Amino acid sequence: MLWVALHLPLLSLESFAATLAGRAAEHGIALVDEHCIAAADAAAIAQGVKPGLKRATALALAPRIVLGQADPARDAEAMRSIVHAALAFTPSVSLQPATEPGRAADTVLLEVQSCLRYFGGSERLLERVRASIEPIGHSLRIASAATAQGAAILAHLEPTPLCTTLEATRRALVAAPVWLLGPGRAHWEALQGMGLRRVGDLLGLPRAGLARRFGETLLAELDAAFGRRADPREPIVPARAFESRLELFARADSSEQVLHGASILLARLVAWLAAQHAFVQRFRLLMHHETRWQQGDRTPQATALEIALAEPSRDSAHLLVLLRERLAHVQLPAPTLELALQASDIVKRAAPNGELFPTRQSEDEGLVRLIERLQARLGAGGVQRLCAAEDHRPERASALRSDAVARPSRASRNAAADATAALPSALPCARPIWLQLPEPLAERDARPLLEGRALALLSGPERIESGWWDDDLAERDYFIAEASDGALVWIYRARLPLSSSGENGWFLHGRFG
Amino acid sequence: MVAAIVTAAALPPPPSLPLSAVAKRQRGDAAVVRRMPETLHPDLWLGHQLGRTGAQTLASGFARLDAELPDGGWPRGALSELLLAHPGVGEMRLLAPALVATQRDGRLVMLFDPPAALAAAALAVLGFAVDELLVVETRARLAPGSDGLWALEQALKSGHVGAIVAWLPQRLRAERLRRLQLAAHRHDGVAFILREAAAAARPTAAPLRVALHAGGADRVQLRVLKRRGPPLETPLELELPSVLSATARRRSASGKHRRLPAATFVDVA
Repeated sequence: MLWVALHLPLLSLESFAATLAGRAAEHGIALVDEHCIAAADAAAIAQGVKPGLKRATALALAPRIVLGQADPARDAEAMRSIVHAALAFTPSVSLQPATEPGRAADTVLLEVQSCLRYFGGSERLLERVRASIEPIGHSLRIASAATAQGAAILAHLEPTPLCTTLEATRRALVAAPVWLLGPGRAHWEALQGMGLRRVGDLLGLPRAGLARRFGETLLAELDAAFGRRADPREPIVPARAFESRLELFARADSSEQVLHGASILLARLVAWLAAQHAFVQRFRLLMHHETRWQQGDRTPQATALEIALAEPSRDSAHLLVLLRERLAHVQLPAPTLELALQASDIVKRAAPNGELFPTRQSEDEGLVRLIERLQARLGAGGVQRLCAAEDHRPERASALRSDAVARPSRASRNAAADATAALPSALPCARPIWLQLPEPLAERDARPLLEGRALALLSGPERIESGWWDDDLAERDYFIAEASDGALVWIYRARLPLSSSGENGWFLHGRFG
Repeated sequence: MVAAIVTAAALPPPPSLPLSAVAKRQRGDAAVVRRMPETLHPDLWLGHQLGRTGAQTLASGFARLDAELPDGGWPRGALSELLLAHPGVGEMRLLAPALVATQRDGRLVMLFDPPAALAAAALAVLGFAVDELLVVETRARLAPGSDGLWALEQALKSGHVGAIVAWLPQRLRAERLRRLQLAAHRHDGVAFILREAAAAARPTAAPLRVALHAGGADRVQLRVLKRRGPPLETPLELELPSVLSATARRRSASGKHRRLPAATFVDVA
């Protein structure tokens, strides 16, 4: 068995930083728990803030620092997406329970022996694990060991050792400081007083005495780390539907601020999709607004933004572009306090092949993305497909439809054999390419005029009389006429005898483009 | 390669070579030097020549037009500007062979902001696969302050669209056209922009500019205002696929127009 431990040393700081927008974090951030500083980032430490200080002292030292409340639930939420990212590599992923009560777990354990060969060795695998966690935005320490407990302990060391055999694991553990053992931290002073600094120092001591002084758990953990005791772990199964929340530190007034938080949620969504080996079909961004306690206030509690994709995807950059375009159109009724991203409509399928040269498939995919992007900005009706309809009335014979545009059918690709077929020299049906709304034409000596010049009738009449069944009766005689500049136009007049439409005179209906 | 030949000619001939041989070699070099401008670099040509850049083009389907276009067809990866006074001078029938060939190649044709509704039947007769034509309307739903040409630019930049025909708004500023031309470098296929005739007075960033006029029934007159090469002096008249019957065409050519046929109707009521 080979276990890999992913340890996030700055988990709570980073999950807090994700709720800040823009450059709010540039003067340092720190987390407060029960009026004392619980964690501080490098910029804050440089100003003298360190864990354990009173809140007021920290503010006196660094007045521009951003102080946030430590929140184990927020950390657990962030940790969940790390677990999802890890699940893309192996099904047996578990969380190492936190050593201190009231804190979220910050170490994920992966059993990778079974998938090493598939990913091409542990080095490659770790590289890919790093790459997949990078977009979620957490700094990472990776250790590997032959035992789960051993890997969790070694991940706290600096630099982290990568052991593949039980022997190497034991050697690395012997040199590790004793407080890395979970229960060792509680007995830290006693252990130090007895001169026991390294884990290796405990090994030579009588086990009965150790158990009496420091409890059974210390011994159990020691044995598990050294592989002398079974250490079963319950693998985590990802939820069937995705939902992740992000409470923003400050109210977000602009869509740009919302987008910053949404990009973090999208990275989590992509991690969840990777764990499922699935692609998202539609997702929903909920923006919870500040409640106003005013009489008659009709501000909604939340604004929902539903985004449906023509082609399922798990490319966070593409999803973010779609979200940005849609957000640009949304007028937020009130400042946003909290974001939530939900997705349940997913499609499971094999991952697309990587390609060196552009192929038909990559072109189709690029086209679908282009159309989705255009639709996100222009609205669903912005991109339409032309369809022919069975009707004699020219204005009803063709229609624009906006459904299924993003899936070019490519039926004609099979007919590519006659790609060189020449145009017909004469067209069997005389219909103009451009149709306009019927435009009344002036008349002189019973001849139609276009822009003050007489039209010369060349061909016609062609009678179209249709549509008595749907109250849109057309009774027209169409002529092709030549305008003074030589262009051909399509004009009609109402059928003369018994015309029921009541329209009179000549109308311009189309132009031969 | 040419530089090497020139240096060799500048050097004094080796003494062992007979004089006649030297003279012959110099004559040969001179021939190379005279041939130079267009062979040196694809972007070089003499003023009276038509540019031969070796760039890929798409045949227009009209042999006489191809002969007048640099590299024998509509340029790919660059804008082709068509100027016309009003829609309906035969522009779609002129572009149809190139667009249909693109569709038969299995690639997508996109139309941006067509000036009127398109009749599917008329396009199908020209050979188009009608339900694979995508029509993009950018002006109707333009959010205030946003860029109307954004969609066109995205489509050009993506490089996945087979052919683009775009009707541009009037009085477009030159720098915006320049941006489109830059975006077209990444486009793999033909891209036509259709503009009003008055734009001819202003410079263009597109390497090809053609003015279209109706040249009588089922004919279109082209004047190539800008190309890689000399401007075309005499207008080119092309025969388009005919919508008229043979008799109607004869009638149009003879100039004798029939009187109003309305007289043939008798009001029986």
